[in-house]
Amino acid sequence: MAKNVLLVDDSSTMRKIISRSLRQAGLDFGEIYEAADGHEALVLLENETIDIVLSDINMPNMNGIEFLREKKNRPGIQAIPVFMISTETGEDIISEAKSLGTIGALKKPFTPEKVNEVLGPFM
Amino acid sequence: MSSFVEISDKIIESTLEIFTGMVMMEISVEGEPPLKLGTLKKSITGMVGLAGDRKGVIAVHLPEQVALAVTTSFLGMEVEEINADVNDAIGEIANMLGGNLKTILSDQGKDIQLSLPSTISGDYSFSSQADVDQIILSFKAPSGVFYVEVELEN
Repeated sequence: MAKNVLLVDDSSTMRKIISRSLRQAGLDFGEIYEAADGHEALVLLENETIDIVLSDINMPNMNGIEFLREKKNRPGIQAIPVFMISTETGEDIISEAKSLGTIGALKKPFTPEKVNEVLGPFM
Repeated sequence: MSSFVEISDKIIESTLEIFTGMVMMEISVEGEPPLKLGTLKKSITGMVGLAGDRKGVIAVHLPEQVALAVTTSFLGMEVEEINADVNDAIGEIANMLGGNLKTILSDQGKDIQLSLPSTISGDYSFSSQADVDQIILSFKAPSGVFYVEVELEN
């Protein structure tokens, strides 16, 4: 069954770009939900059927790391897999994200082929 | 190879990677870049500041018609005027260039923080008030020439 995806990024343009990359990657996905920060993402995760989350790290209000930390404490949604998408590739940030349960990271810039390679196994 | 030449080569590499791989637009390096850009007319600039062990800025300067073509290709939808999507798209390109510059400098043992991306558009000049090393690189896109500029404080 096609997976529902949640895109978390404060830039609506970046969310459009990621949606375009998902389409071009040829992945079988269902609904695409969008959130502008971690707070909005948590509300959507609590209220919609979402199978996988692609999240930016640097966002206002609640950034990607704070989002992971909060999600980890909510039993109903803690098992939903999260990929980080960011230009931030510092080992400290990535290892902190991993310790909070993220299952992978996609560094910008990325090609549709890279999206397929990284996300394909989870879709 | 001096570190500044190395930075220049890696910025060329990352600009080509961003445009061909993510904007989905073929570009090439365009001959000898100018030493100074002067006043930019009907243009848009996306920029990201660097703080920490190296201070400076990385900017991408595009004439409006190039920015529109880049945004159209980047978003996969027609864009006909400078609007929030164009600002966001050009800001995002600056953000990715900044991320790559941070990686390049971090590999040299520098601890760098990046600002959020910002954009300016219209007619303007772009210059640093500090004593900086400057790289200007020109690239040719199907719709025109654009520039990537790096300024790092001495």
